[in-house]
Amino acid sequence: MTAETIQAPRRRRKTKLLPYLLSLPALLVCVGILIPFVTAVYYSMLRFRLNLPAMKGFIWFDNYINFLSDSEFWNTVRVSLLYTGLTVGVELVFGLAIAMLLQKQTRFNNLASILLLLPLMTAPALAALMWKLMTNPNFGVLSYLVQLAGVSDFKWASAPSTALFTVVLVDVWVYTPFIMILLLAGLRSLPRQPFEAAALDGVPRRFVFFRITLPMLAPYMITATLFRLLDSIQQFDIIYSMTQGGPGNTLLVFQVRSYLEFYQYTNVAKSAALLVILWAITYALSNIFIKQWLKLRERARGSA
Amino acid sequence: MAQVEIRNIHKGFKSGAVLSDISLTAETGEIVVVFGPSGAGKTVLLRLIAGVEEPDEGAIFLQGRDVADAPPEARGLGMAFQNFALFPHMSAYDNIASALTARERSPAIIKAKVDNVAKLLKISHVMQHAPRELSNGQKQRTALARALVADPRILLLDDPLRNVDAKLRYEMRLELPSLLKASGSTVLYVTQDYKEAMALGDKIAVLLEGGFVQIATPTEVYRAPATLGVARLFGDPTINVIPAEPSLRDGRSVFDLGGVSLSLPARYAAVAGKSCMLGIRPESIIVEEAPSAESFPVEVVAITPLNEKSVLLLRTYDGREILAAEAGVEQSSRRIGAACARLDADAVLVFDAASGRRIAPVQS
Amino acid sequence: MEHTSRLERIIRIVLVALILIFFLFPIFWIFLMSFQTNEDILRIPPSPFFTPTISNYQALITGKLVSAAGTLDIPFMRNLWNSVLLSSVSVVIALILGVPAAYAFARFKFRLGEDIAFTLLSFRFAPPLLVLLPLSLYFQEIGLTDTYAGLIWVYQLIALPLILWIVRGYFEDISPDIEYAYRIGGHSWWRTFTRIAVPLAGPGIAAAGLLAFIFCWNNFVFALILASADKQPVTVGSLAFVTASGIQYGQIAAAIVLSVTPTLAIALYAQRYLVEGLSLGAVKG
Repeated sequence: MTAETIQAPRRRRKTKLLPYLLSLPALLVCVGILIPFVTAVYYSMLRFRLNLPAMKGFIWFDNYINFLSDSEFWNTVRVSLLYTGLTVGVELVFGLAIAMLLQKQTRFNNLASILLLLPLMTAPALAALMWKLMTNPNFGVLSYLVQLAGVSDFKWASAPSTALFTVVLVDVWVYTPFIMILLLAGLRSLPRQPFEAAALDGVPRRFVFFRITLPMLAPYMITATLFRLLDSIQQFDIIYSMTQGGPGNTLLVFQVRSYLEFYQYTNVAKSAALLVILWAITYALSNIFIKQWLKLRERARGSA
Repeated sequence: MAQVEIRNIHKGFKSGAVLSDISLTAETGEIVVVFGPSGAGKTVLLRLIAGVEEPDEGAIFLQGRDVADAPPEARGLGMAFQNFALFPHMSAYDNIASALTARERSPAIIKAKVDNVAKLLKISHVMQHAPRELSNGQKQRTALARALVADPRILLLDDPLRNVDAKLRYEMRLELPSLLKASGSTVLYVTQDYKEAMALGDKIAVLLEGGFVQIATPTEVYRAPATLGVARLFGDPTINVIPAEPSLRDGRSVFDLGGVSLSLPARYAAVAGKSCMLGIRPESIIVEEAPSAESFPVEVVAITPLNEKSVLLLRTYDGREILAAEAGVEQSSRRIGAACARLDADAVLVFDAASGRRIAPVQS
Repeated sequence: MEHTSRLERIIRIVLVALILIFFLFPIFWIFLMSFQTNEDILRIPPSPFFTPTISNYQALITGKLVSAAGTLDIPFMRNLWNSVLLSSVSVVIALILGVPAAYAFARFKFRLGEDIAFTLLSFRFAPPLLVLLPLSLYFQEIGLTDTYAGLIWVYQLIALPLILWIVRGYFEDISPDIEYAYRIGGHSWWRTFTRIAVPLAGPGIAAAGLLAFIFCWNNFVFALILASADKQPVTVGSLAFVTASGIQYGQIAAAIVLSVTPTLAIALYAQRYLVEGLSLGAVKG
């Protein structure tokens, strides 16, 4: 008998269906996301204001084209990128420094790293309120300390010149521990031999840091940075709680601006177009991120 | 009725075909050893029978029933895994009892059966321990007890002795045959240790590169291996292989070894002129001090004890190295240096050089 | 050598101390403020020494703020209750839906599974408003605006991807043979799932659940858009409270303390698993 003459066995139907059945709820949630997502893309190509329903109409890419000559739009791009660059940059340097300080597994270091989790677990909106209380011009302890240091007239979030600094500070306070904790786990999982060999050979520390530590830690740094970039470019909670995008237009990042566009000016289409642009940016970033993240994840699983 | 019947099974994974056109039957109470090197597809075969993998083609019958639609829990088998696969969150007792709870309601009967099999396998004293508190040997016995406890008609054992130390493996090799016979189950036993296969199997199915090369009794597999490949897998030290193209002299095939012409028995007359591989088991080479009729001179290069044997590395005058084995390790008479060797010509196996298949002698 | 390493040790300790001060001082200071009267708070210079009062908490818990201007109703306890309700119900539902799906993704390699897993993952990083703003219009049409059901549904966007990806990793760590052994022992697929797979992935499921709870609790934007005052959780409620109570800073501080305590307590309790969870399983702590 040859292989061709034998019929393929009947499959166990139930087993084949089971995975689909199990993932059905997750699939429904997916659909639940995709419908409003497609709707948003559609809205972004309309002339659509809630207060002027009669004007509703399809205008293709006019909303996007209008952005090109809209200085407000470019202000949003500039502020968003500035905010993202500043927060992620500071957090990465700061987080790496702290991780290296706490690298050695001592009881004190472990306790410190646990305590550093607390800001990260504070709701960003509430963290913004906490800092708002501390920077209150009348009684805020930080306002007092700044004054004590000789800087008068420092208005924190209420002055255009210092508002960005203030929200970046809050973001750094909340999210530096995130980078720190990832890099700490990364540092502690590195093989020891290269470092021991370098110590034996008396290789200078700076050389060890730039030629051994950084390259080996790179996958963790890239993953953590992309993770933060993705969150930071979409920041809403901290800025909205602290200043609602003000003073003026100083802090109108993408999401805050589209929120105001929607609720204050009821311009649904413009708001949607802004969000679609933001989505395109995050989508590109998240594709890079997911690749890096899968690599790391495989490594973590492999060593388990 | 065969307890297990496998018909023309094919199974492939993304990396390629693992099993192709496999057929096998096992009768009631029979122990069939599936033997082969690692990667031959032995474990896949057991998993197909257990129902945790599905064949691409072909059919499996258990007790006469086509089980294509039966999930693992409906096949009524017992199985022991190579890595033991104990449930880490359950005690040894619960591990063993798990094979009963689905089918047996009465706690008293469950307890009696578990206690019984634990006693049989000498693990009664560790029944309340978690798997991580067990030694490797105890883990292995627990896994075996779990497979045996429900008195399955069909028992699948996937290299159960692979991950235990040498001493325990030796003990279990002695213990297992009577244990398995007493269970009355039909056993499919996977191993890559030829001694285990010889010691346990009523029948050995040799699996090489996804197909059965030979299915026969242990004696037959050893004495009359189907191919050179099979011959190489059975026996330690491995069989000596000598390429030869025998010529015909006085109605016998004659070949040259170490400068001496040696003749094969008359029934191999037909191989003369063919390109052959001669398989000579080390124990059928007899080393002597004094030369005799068909002996050839050799140099004893090294003497190594192996199990209960002494293995001698011999070098013939034309530089060929061959291995001889003799019983006993304390043969003080053996010395490094010149000696004579002769063959037990009846035990020589002849293989076709091109196909590797054994050429059967023609009985006159 | 000995000398420099000693100096270095001191520098390290000083640096770590400074870092701890920066990251812990705000929590500590707000905690102090929550026990101060408005007079203490407004005193210049600010001082950590004062006579503690629990009047702020009293006002929040009774829901009545008595001041010179009259009695003001504070709905803060309602917000706290909403947070508890929304977060815990959302996580329970996400666990019921997500754990079997995570199992399916881990055990059965199938195209649709990967598609769902990665779609959810990529939307974990998409701007929430993109989905929320059209959704708010849909919700108005189907009457889900300002309902617990609607909010809990939307909270699945936070909880489900988290649970799927973390728990999936834990299921993948279980040797399939262990499950097969149980099934060959005569147990159905479902029993094997509940008796073997779920208990063995237990720590991971618990960690994912706690982390999902924290993220639901800390969420701000979902409820900001989809809930009105009586359904709002603490994150949104506190913001409204700041505007409403005006200058009752002690009570704002007390409200913040009550709002962050649950998540901080969970974080300290489950810190061992947080690293792995925060990186969605990319890093093991």
